[in-house]
Amino acid sequence: MSIAAANVPLQSGRKRGVWRGRIFVALLVLSLLVGFVALGTLFFDVLSKGVAYVDPVLLTNSPSSDPAVAGARPALLATLYLGILLILFTVPIGVGTAIYLEEYANRDRWYNRLLELNIQNLAAVPSIVYGILGLAFLVRGLGLGRVLLAGALILTLLVLPTVIIAAREAIRAVPSSIREGAYALGATQWQVVWRQVLPAAIPGIATGSILALARAIGETAPLILIGALTFISFNPTAMGPFTALPVQIYNWTKLPDPEFKALAAAAIIVLLIMVLLLNAGAIWLRNRYQKRW
Amino acid sequence: MNIIETPVQLAQQAERQLPSAEHREVVFDVSALTVSYGDKPALKNVSLEVYRNFVTAFIGPSGCGKSTFIRCFNRMNDLIPSAAVEGRILYHGEDLYGAHVDPVEVRRRIGMVFQKPNPFPKSIHANVAFGPRVLGMTNDLDGRVERALQQAALWDEVEDRLDESALSLSGGQQQRLCIARCLAVEPDVLLMDEPASALDPISTTRIEDLMHELKRDYTIVIVTHNMQQAARIADMTAFFSVEVDEGQRSGLLVEYAATPTIFTKPADKRTEDYVTGRFG
Amino acid sequence: MRISLQEELDQLEAALQEEGALVLRALRGCLNALGRQDAELADEVVAFDDEVDETYVAIEEGIQSLLARQTPVAIDLRNVLAVLHINLHLERMADYCVTVAKLTKLVHDTPPDETLAEALEDMGNRAKEMIQAALDSFANRDVESAESLVDMDELIDRANRRVVHQILSLSADPDLREWGLRMLLVSRCLERIGDHAVDIGEQTAFLVSGQFREFTDASH
Repeated sequence: MSIAAANVPLQSGRKRGVWRGRIFVALLVLSLLVGFVALGTLFFDVLSKGVAYVDPVLLTNSPSSDPAVAGARPALLATLYLGILLILFTVPIGVGTAIYLEEYANRDRWYNRLLELNIQNLAAVPSIVYGILGLAFLVRGLGLGRVLLAGALILTLLVLPTVIIAAREAIRAVPSSIREGAYALGATQWQVVWRQVLPAAIPGIATGSILALARAIGETAPLILIGALTFISFNPTAMGPFTALPVQIYNWTKLPDPEFKALAAAAIIVLLIMVLLLNAGAIWLRNRYQKRW
Repeated sequence: MNIIETPVQLAQQAERQLPSAEHREVVFDVSALTVSYGDKPALKNVSLEVYRNFVTAFIGPSGCGKSTFIRCFNRMNDLIPSAAVEGRILYHGEDLYGAHVDPVEVRRRIGMVFQKPNPFPKSIHANVAFGPRVLGMTNDLDGRVERALQQAALWDEVEDRLDESALSLSGGQQQRLCIARCLAVEPDVLLMDEPASALDPISTTRIEDLMHELKRDYTIVIVTHNMQQAARIADMTAFFSVEVDEGQRSGLLVEYAATPTIFTKPADKRTEDYVTGRFG
Repeated sequence: MRISLQEELDQLEAALQEEGALVLRALRGCLNALGRQDAELADEVVAFDDEVDETYVAIEEGIQSLLARQTPVAIDLRNVLAVLHINLHLERMADYCVTVAKLTKLVHDTPPDETLAEALEDMGNRAKEMIQAALDSFANRDVESAESLVDMDELIDRANRRVVHQILSLSADPDLREWGLRMLLVSRCLERIGDHAVDIGEQTAFLVSGQFREFTDASH
């Protein structure tokens, strides 16, 4: 160590570097604020307009031309049913595909590579395209008609790529050492997947599915396209006409009466609460089952 | 005071009671084994015999193919698509890679413990019971779990917390749990790929003492990069080295003999250079 | 912990104690041959040395193997080194027994001087006691008992001096004088056996304390 080095003071002489650091942090905070401010403004706007109308009437009554007694019960129920059907369809198909791609598929085969490429692309397709697809093949082609089931199927197609990707990530996160350990004990590939990989991946899969669900229940365009009717006063059934909460909101905003706009805001609040609850549930699940390998 | 009859017995004791060549039972008979990944040979032309109730160690510098070699014994290399195995390994006289051989059955008889302990994210009981369950050995499951944990010298430490997560154990305990997991399926052979390299010295000594006990009932093959460990616990030691041929590095077997011989008067100079630390 | 190291150390020590027992047997044999002037017994003692040598070599090889493979340290290392040295001392003692037996054979038909013969028998018994004491003190890691060997050795040394004196005053009979000369060497052998026993005691002290020291200096 040279004597010169020993005499260098501990205080830093690099002032320019310090300022650059500070400006960088300021820019980061600014970008954060942009998002927060925009979101906050939206929330505030909706809350101020609609909070007065959030009451049991909204939740229990059917729509009516009289805003005082109009409610969104059929829409709410339809959204609920759509959600349930969505989970029933996407989870088995999505997880199954993910298992195939991660555990069984030979990456060198062209069809597997094609499959992987397509999944990435499908996740980026705009939702209205799924609406057109659903209209052509499900409603008209298969003759299902403009029914809840068709809506559920379309939404399934919409979120399936996301669920597949989330499930794949969860399966990949299971360390290969677990698989090796299981193989070394004499387990077959099926036993390794079913007894070790899947159980360990379930928290990740569940989180991904819930997030996909949260996105799907806010989808409007494809449902409108396949004819989610605006005025339904009866509770929806699987093979019957239906509407959904986002569609109901959309139609209320189109009406001239300002009370309906307030009702729409109220319905938005309900929808937001649903989405928030789902997201919170996903986060809770993830934290609870976070694995420390 | 007892007076021993023949000093020859003393000499045998000094040789750690190795039975003479005629009395050794061959478990694995390897001939001309070559393993390649794609077109790159990892290990060339290895021939040796592994004996029953012996601890056999594979030592050598990194890249010499000893881990690749040990994984041939339980067909774990099957899991790597690009791996190709030529040559022959006989297990109790049967070709391990024969057309009608089921890898699952191979792995039941020939268990493996890995370098980094890999307990399943389940309870201790579920970990040890996994092997018997997947193989259909479900009678007296609790008894099997207890016996396996006893043999792995872990029972006393976990008997009152079998339902706790296996991940709550210390590193040394986790490795003994992995050993118990293997023992639960009543194997014939235990393969250990650097079982103590991720552990602290005390845990390492416990694992070594465990191997000393286990070899009474099992045949043990161990890969270790710590040659002192091989010196301490192995009955037979195989020294592998790397040879470079047209830019390709591949492993080869240099010398295979009783451990005292390898560490007191090795036949090959390369072996002597390695064990004296003058290698490279 | 370190089960195999402990087992090997125990085996080496057991072998050492066996060797000690063989040496005692050899000493008893050569003393009996000396006392009874039995040439055949003397031959057996000489042949018996092969067994001691085999044991000696086996222990040597065991030590080499243990050092190479177990890398003992601290007390384990001192243990091995002590066994190494004691092995040497025992082998030398056995060689002295052979010498006594050979000397016995050379003059077995000469009638002995009774006083001298008794004195030698005495020395022989002391030597036996010392070997036993040395082996026991090592087995028990008993430093006090090891140090007491010095006093026992002093007795042998005095007896040796008395024997020398006695031999000088033997009659002029040439056979008797030859016998006396040989017995001088016998006495010397027994005295050296005693010295080796003290050396064994020093190894015991080294093992326990970690320091090597001679119990007495060379001037005694």
